[in-house]
Formats: sequence, C-alpha cells, structure tokens
Amino acid sequence: MARPIRDIEPAPLSAETQRQKDLEEVEQALADNKEAVLGAIDLMNNLHKNGITRIANGLVSEGDKVLEIIVQEISKDENTNALRNMLLMVGVLGTIDMRKIEPLLLKLNNGIERVAEDPDPDEKTGYFDLAKKLKDPQINRSLTILMRFLEGMGQETKDQERN
Amino acid sequence: MSKQVSVQVNGKLHQASEEQTVLQHLNERGVEVPQVCYHEALGPIKTCDACIVEVDGELVRSCDTKVKKGSRIDTVQQDVKDAQVIAMDRILHNHELYCTVCDYNNGNCEVHNAVKDMKIEHQTIPFEPKPEPKDNSHPYYRYDPDQCILCGRCVEACQDVQVTETLRIDWERDRPRVIWDNDVAINESSCVSCGHCSTVCPCNAMMEKGMEGKAGYMTGMDQKTLRPMIELTKNVETGYGSILAISDMEASMRDAKIKKTKTVCTYCGVGCSFDVWTQGRDILKVEPQEEAPANGISTCVKGKFGWDYVNSEERVTKPLIREGSRFREGTWEEAYKLIAENLRSIEKEHGNDALAFISSSKTTNEESYLMQKLARSIFKTNNVDNCSRYCQTPATKGLFRTVGYGGDSGSITDIQQADLVLVIGSNTAESHPVLATRVKSSQKLHGQKLIVSDLRRHEMAERADLFLHPRSGSDLVWLSAVSKYILDHNMEDKAFIDKHVNGIDEFRETLETYTLEYAEKYTGLSREELIRTAEMIAEAETVCSLWAMGVTQHLGGSDTSTAISNLMLITGNYMKPGAGTYPLRGHNNVQGASDFGSMPDKFPGYESVEDSVIRRKYEEGWGTSLPEKAGWNNHEMVEAVHDGRLKAMYLKGEDMGIVDSNINYVHEAFEKLDFFVVQDVFLSKTAEFADVVLPASPSLEKEGTFTNTERRVQRLYQVLEPLGDSKPDWKIIMELANELGADWNYSHPSEIMAESASLAPLFAGVSYDRLEGYNSLQWPVAEDGTDTPLLFKEEFPFPDGKARLFPVDWSVPLDFGEEYDLHINNGRLLEHFHEGNMTYKAEGITSKTPGAFLEVSPELAEERGIEDGSFVKLTSPYGQVKVSCIVTDRVQGKELYLPMNDSGSSAVNQLTSSYADKDTDTPAYKELSAKMDVLKPKGESPLPRTNHRYGNPQPQIGVNVEAKWQRKDYVFPGDVVRRKGAKPNG
Repeated sequence: MARPIRDIEPAPLSAETQRQKDLEEVEQALADNKEAVLGAIDLMNNLHKNGITRIANGLVSEGDKVLEIIVQEISKDENTNALRNMLLMVGVLGTIDMRKIEPLLLKLNNGIERVAEDPDPDEKTGYFDLAKKLKDPQINRSLTILMRFLEGMGQETKDQERN
Repeated sequence: MSKQVSVQVNGKLHQASEEQTVLQHLNERGVEVPQVCYHEALGPIKTCDACIVEVDGELVRSCDTKVKKGSRIDTVQQDVKDAQVIAMDRILHNHELYCTVCDYNNGNCEVHNAVKDMKIEHQTIPFEPKPEPKDNSHPYYRYDPDQCILCGRCVEACQDVQVTETLRIDWERDRPRVIWDNDVAINESSCVSCGHCSTVCPCNAMMEKGMEGKAGYMTGMDQKTLRPMIELTKNVETGYGSILAISDMEASMRDAKIKKTKTVCTYCGVGCSFDVWTQGRDILKVEPQEEAPANGISTCVKGKFGWDYVNSEERVTKPLIREGSRFREGTWEEAYKLIAENLRSIEKEHGNDALAFISSSKTTNEESYLMQKLARSIFKTNNVDNCSRYCQTPATKGLFRTVGYGGDSGSITDIQQADLVLVIGSNTAESHPVLATRVKSSQKLHGQKLIVSDLRRHEMAERADLFLHPRSGSDLVWLSAVSKYILDHNMEDKAFIDKHVNGIDEFRETLETYTLEYAEKYTGLSREELIRTAEMIAEAETVCSLWAMGVTQHLGGSDTSTAISNLMLITGNYMKPGAGTYPLRGHNNVQGASDFGSMPDKFPGYESVEDSVIRRKYEEGWGTSLPEKAGWNNHEMVEAVHDGRLKAMYLKGEDMGIVDSNINYVHEAFEKLDFFVVQDVFLSKTAEFADVVLPASPSLEKEGTFTNTERRVQRLYQVLEPLGDSKPDWKIIMELANELGADWNYSHPSEIMAESASLAPLFAGVSYDRLEGYNSLQWPVAEDGTDTPLLFKEEFPFPDGKARLFPVDWSVPLDFGEEYDLHINNGRLLEHFHEGNMTYKAEGITSKTPGAFLEVSPELAEERGIEDGSFVKLTSPYGQVKVSCIVTDRVQGKELYLPMNDSGSSAVNQLTSSYADKDTDTPAYKELSAKMDVLKPKGESPLPRTNHRYGNPQPQIGVNVEAKWQRKDYVFPGDVVRRKGAKPNG
C-alpha cells in the first residue's frame, strides 16, 4: 500500500556537495584557460599597483550614484555644449577630403618654411613691387589658389549643416 | 495564379503581380521605401503615410495602391522624399528617440530604422508628451502613450487577427491614444492577454514587462538617472545620425547577453512556435515570427506568458525515493538501480505483462518512441499507452474507419479558407485559442460561415451564424439526420461518391431511423435548425469539421466521430483545400505520442504489433524478439491493477491521478501497485503515490520534436539548461535501459528520429536537417522529404483507394437516475492548462484567474438561491467536489460547467465515472450528472473583476483610419507637398 505523500527529505550535505561540484567546475575552467588566467593575474597586479583597482571598485560598487553624478555634471550647459562641439568637430573632420587637401598642405608647408627663414623681414612691399611680383609665377600661383579658396568659402553651406 | 504585368519603377521596367500592392512589389524587389505601420501579417493599415510614392503622377500610399498594368512608379523624386519626411515628422512628434536607453532597441525597432534609412537629422515638429501616464495595470505588458506613434498595428491585431476586439484608437481626442474597451485600465478590460499587441508594436509603446529594464546595458538604471540621461542624449545630439549610430552599437552589443532560441509551445495542439528571449534563466519575452508555420505572429496567454513554471521553486530537481512516510532525495545511480531491480523481479515473478508503461503528450516524439521501445524490447510487453486515450483516440478511430488516416485532413490554413466551418463539441476559442482566431477572423472579414453545436454558449457559439444546442451526447443523432436529409433531397456530391467512396447503399439504409422527427425528439433541436444545417453544409463549396472532447468523451465517441466523417464524405468535403475533418488535438504532442508508437496495439506510424511482417522489421531493427499480443490501454491498466494482474507501472509526464476519470478509483489502483515510477517536472498528485520520482526537464530544457494537430513535425531547441539534476526524458529512458542491459548510444534526439524514420514508412523522410529552424514537415513524409499538407489528394489509404462509409448507431448516454438532476459539463478554460501544474505557477495568470469555478445558469441560480461566490457541493455516485459558483448565461437550465483546471477539492474527476467509449475505452467524462447542495449561499466571487470575462469588447474593423483622416488637423502629406501653402500639420 503506497499512500500518497508530499514530504521530501533533502539530500544530506547537499550544500557541501554542491560547493565541491562548483569548485571542481572552477578548477577545470582555470586549467582549461591557463594562459588567459595567468595573463589576467599579471594585469590585475599592475592595475593594483597603480591603484586603479581601488578606483574601479569604487566606481563599480557605487555605480548608480556615480552615474547619477556624471549625468548631472554632463547635463550642465557648458558641458553639454562641449560634448556637442566635440561631436560636431568630429563630424566636420570626417568630411575633410585628405586627397584634395594634401597638395594644399604641402604648399602651405613650403610657404611656412620660406617665412621661417626670416620671420620678421625688414623689407617693405610697395604697389610697384606688388605688380612686379604678380609676374613671378610662384607668387601668381599662390594668389590664384587663395582667390579660389575665398570663392569656395563664400558659398552657401546651410544645407550641409548638422547643427 | 496571379497575372504578371509590366510596370516602370524609377524608369526601369519591372514584371509585377497584379495581386500585389505597389509596396509589396517594391519590398519584393528590394527598392527602398520607408514603412512603419505596414506589417506583412497584418496588411496595409494606412496610418503612417511613410510609404508615399508617386504612381502615375499622383502621390499615394504605396501600401494601399494595387499594381496596375503600365503603372509608372517613382520612389526617388524630391516630392516623394518631402512627403515621406512630413510623415516621419508627425511620427516623431509622438515618439521620443532615446534609443540607447530603450529596452526596445534590439535592432528591430521600425521607428529607429526608418529614421536611420531616411537619414533624417532633425524634426520640424518637436516631440510633445501626451497628457496621460503609462498604463502598468496588466501583469504582463504595459502601454506608454508617450511613445505610441498611433500606427494602429496593435488594434489591427486585436480586432482582426486575434478578434478579441478590445483595442481601439480614440481618434476623437485632442491627442489620440490606444484605449481598452470603453477606455478602462488594461487590467480591467476584455483583454485575454494573448500578447498580439506587444508582439506587433513597432516600438516600445506596447511592451512585454519581462523586457523592462533588462534588455539593454543601461536600461536598468534608476528612473531618477534615466530621465536626465534621456534629456542629455537629446541635448547633445548633433542630429539623429550620431544618436542612432551609438544606439546601433549598443543594440549589437545586446546580442551578447540576450539569447534567442526557437521552441514549440508545450500547451495545446495548435503547435505554435516562437523565439524565446532569455538572459540566464530569465525569460524576457516570447517573440512569435511570421515564418512560424502554424501560428505566424499569433499566441495565446499561455504560450506568450505562461512560462514561470520552468523556474518554479517547486520543480523536482533530484530523484526522490520513497522511504516510509516521506521521499528522500537520492542520486540517479541509486534510482536507476532500484528501478531496474524492482521491475526485473516483478517481471520474473509475475510475467512480462505485469508491467505497464505510460507515455505523455507533453514529451517529445523521440521520447514517446523510446518509451515504447523500452516496454517492447526490454520488457517484452505491449502494455504501453499515452494520454490521447483520454481525449482523441475515438476521433482517430472514426477516421481510420472511414478515411484510413487518423489525422487532420489539412492545415490550419485550410480551416481559414473554408466557406463553412462546423464546430462540434469544441470550445475552440479557449482550448485552441490561436486556431480559433483564424476562424473568427475569416468569419468577421471574409464571409466564412460558422455552425457551432455545443451545450454552452461560449465565444464560438456566440459568434456562430447558427448555434445548435442539442442534448448532451446526441450529436450522432443530428449528424445522422442531417446526412439522411441531404441524401433524401439529392444534395449529396454524387460525382465524389461515385469516384471515391464505398458503401453508400448500406449507409443510406442504416440512416432510415434518423428522420427529422426522431432527431427532434432525441436532440431537442427544431426541424428548422436541422434543415438549415443540412442546407448550409450541402450548399457550401468547402466545409471543415472541427471537433474535440464534446464529441469523443462519450459512450459512443468513436461512433460520433465516424458520423462526422461520413457526413463530410457524402458532401464531397475531402480531397480539396479548405475542406475535411479536423479532430483538434488537445496537447502539444498528443498527435506525436500516438504517432511514435506509445500505443498498446501499434508500432510507430500506426503499424500493427500483431502483424508478423511488421514485427519482424522491428525485431531486426532493434536486434531482439518482440511480444506478439496487443497490450492494455490506460483504462485496462487501471482495471488490471485492481484485479491484481498488473503490479508495476512506469509513467512519465502525466498527472493521471487528476486527469483520468473516476480518480478515487484510480488512486486506489495506484495504492495497490507493488512498484510505481513517476517521471515528472513536479511532485504531481500522481507522483505522490510513486516509489521513485524521476526529475524530468520540460520542453524549454531540451531538444526534440513535437507533432501538432496538423500532423506537422516541428523542432524545439534548448532554451535553458536542465534545472538542478533534472534530465530530458529521452536521456532518463536511455540510461535506465542501459542499466537494464541495453546498449543504447543516442547522443542527440536526432539519432532517435533517424532510427524511427528508418523503420516507420509514415516518417521515412523526417530528419533534423529538414526541420532546421522554422522548417516543418506534415506526415506522411516520403523518403525524399516530400510532405503532405493536404492528407488526401488522389486516393484514400485503403487497398482500392476508396473511402468507406461506416454505418454507426447511437449510444444512449448514461442515465444517473433522477436523484442526480444536474448535468455537469466539463472542459478547459483559456488561461489554465489541465490540472494547472504549469499555469498556476504563473503569478500573472493566477492573479486574474485564481482557480476553477462552477458555471450556473441564471434560471438555476434563481431556483436554488445561488449567486456569484455561493459555495456548493456536487455529488455523483463516484465522489464529490466543493466549488464556488459564477452565474452566467453561457450555460442554460440544469446544465452546469465545471472546468477541469483544478487539482484540489474542485477537481472534476472526483465525480466522473469509469464508463468509457465502447470502442476505445476513452472515459465518458462528458456523461456526468450530479446533485447539488448549497453549502454557503454567500461568499467571495471566485473570479476577480480583473478577469477578461467581465470585459466589454468594442468590435470594429481594424483601426478605423478613416476617422484619423477626417480629423481637422490631418492633411495627406502628398497634398501638403503638391498644393503649396497647405500647412503640414494643421
């Protein structure tokens, strides 16, 4: 006669057995990943020496509070603006075409070099000198480039703005 | 086939189908068009206006414009882009983009993706919060009006797919929003918690609560930090581009912590499949997929939200061994040893047939296969059965008699497209909710007709074009009378009968008794109702007959099933799409449990154990001799225990001590067993009688296949690791077999399926490769993998290829005598499953439906002084139950309804008898009468007001977008662009 029963006697020492099983699992994982584990220990050591672990611990354990402070701080107008500017600058940088700009930069370098030879020249340039210099092919090329640059700069850019 | 026509898309010539909309064509050809409200499974909703393109010079919604010959379609010109941007602007007016800290940011947010694809950087109309707070009242999902873009997908799904008709958008108010019933809190509405709305929502407005704060890396933060964070993200934004880039990055990081696994639902026989999103053991949500063959985007409350049992504290996680008056937790080794020793010694002392094995429809095909292999090959007995004995074996019997296969004639899509659906003895909307949605929706939108024969005015009856309420157990009479009327009036399908059906003359003769007068007298139906039924069936092009336990659980259950099939044969309703017989299988794998051989007289694939050629095949396959004589079924097993022939039983996944009929008698049998092994997820009522309880893993913790009511085999993948020391049933059976000296080496269920496919011709081509992901196969499956969605195409599986009309006679239902004056109908509730071992673990479900209750008609309530909450005792000759009442006109007169979903003092099977279907021994659960004593006239109602039965549905077609268009502030974006000066937003 098997009467219906609901009582269950838990397996003895089940906590200890479980612990043993968990430890075996951990041990196995350590052995399987020896290189990575040793590397991680080195890394931890270095981080610890520099006090980074302490800071990180603080950050992580008080995560919610820290995050709240960070968010509050960043939410201040000037900081929000800074972030916004940064994102904008990054965006603009992204639009620069290096292939086009490289020759210009090389020329600019030459110019700077030439100026660097005598950064504060005594000689003065009069109208006639200017007219004469226009015939100098180097000066003329520079001026043409500058004129074109000014033309470009004057163009409407509203449709490309992201801000 | 649809006609192909030529159209021009952006100047290029395309071939397109005339059936399609412009949007469908563009999507198919990969031409990019933004779309937010459009959903393939819902069709055009026409609310978002984002899909505007130019067709023949006009700006139109491409979702709402059919492809026409010679159409010129332009998706790129500036006007098109401008109109689309206006549409998106309006959407963003209603939706705040804080994607990185949004739980819905999982790569599939339609709003996010549309903004990104359209390269929108700014909005002209800023976001403006709506004045109402989140509705958090429902246990499983919440609605945030502030994030709602008013696309109406949820409304379409609720009104036209699920057809519960709870949700609407109130287009009248200043800021429209989704409302429930007449604008009540979600939890006080008629919402049945099917989850369609949260499944189809394109953003985070309607969301499963399981996702909240869990899906993202930063979504779990404190509310007080979250708000400033949202503000910050918005202020910093240099345009949506960079916000979306960061949120995309975060979304892809989420893949590392959210696991998405396909599984097949473990509740009813519809066979819904879906992805389960998990994090560790936490289930975040169930996400149905359009490609799911049986259900598409549909689920019911159990499949969508009923999974808490998997992580229940009450799970059995170690083998339990009976010692005196308690169980001791033991190890697998000692449990196996104990079982092997005891079964072997009983076998030795009392013979092979002193042992019996019961398989479960909750376990997989592979596990059913192994159970019968264990019984037959290790213990040399055919005493193996499964729980389909309690429900659908009579249907299988009736179909084998007439058409040669015991399965649904077609797929759910056939039921969906039938001209007429005949539902007999099936509370489909509660027992097979997703399948019922297809009928409800076809009837609501596509003119399908519905006849329902039932004792109760349940939802299907309420919706029926013709509701028949015959006396209990008299369906065979009216089915026969209707058949006779059809034949007498030459309304049968003569061509079909001549070509495909035998036995018409004899059948005609045996119907002589069933005149309209006879039927009126014994069914209580009127002559007019009978004639109208006959005419509706005969006139319809295609008829699908659906039936369930209201037919099968009677003394003549097999005969009534046969009568249904006879009626379908004479009206030619086989061998064509949209027609046939559909015995709705009750459990996820009730079909598969029998298909794979856990039956006393059949090997897998319904091949007879008494056929020596077949037996030889299995003897060779398994390398051992096999028993010749058919074994006992469940019902006979209980008898055999009582008379001392059966001594030991090994039962898995079945709470037989609650779900069998006359359970007091069954419990006595359990007590008499010398040795009893129960394998289950919980310490069920049945397990309480066991000598050894083996902890099994439920469907989410294993791989395998289930076969649904459509004969569709589908794979489930492992979502979670087995809890504690529990194991999948196939592993347990294999390890036990090996303890008993077998040498089984299955390393994966696919190998078990391969073995079975090699032996059973019905499954010859079934393999795990062919079932990858959402692929499925409907048996019979030929070796080359060709499956059979439509079961009968050219012939019936009899030697001459013809079906047989099988004459049947009416079995008069049990008479309990005058003293037992009330008829007790019984069956399922939508929210709970069976005795409730699984669903009562779901806190949310239980909060809305705490337990079973007795439905009492208003007439009887008046007569006996009963009201909601009255506590009564029902007594039958076999036992008694005590239960609280609900007064409802779903039941009439002296017919009561007691759901089977309780394992305590209101468990209905304390009342039922051991009488059974004369042909299959399926218990006659539905032939039950009792007398009633009112114990306490007043008490607390067993149904809280938050139960959906108190709701107040508001039917309408779809989202009623016309009301949106009539708003004063609405101008079609195309008109804004083309008629300069029109204001973009009122």
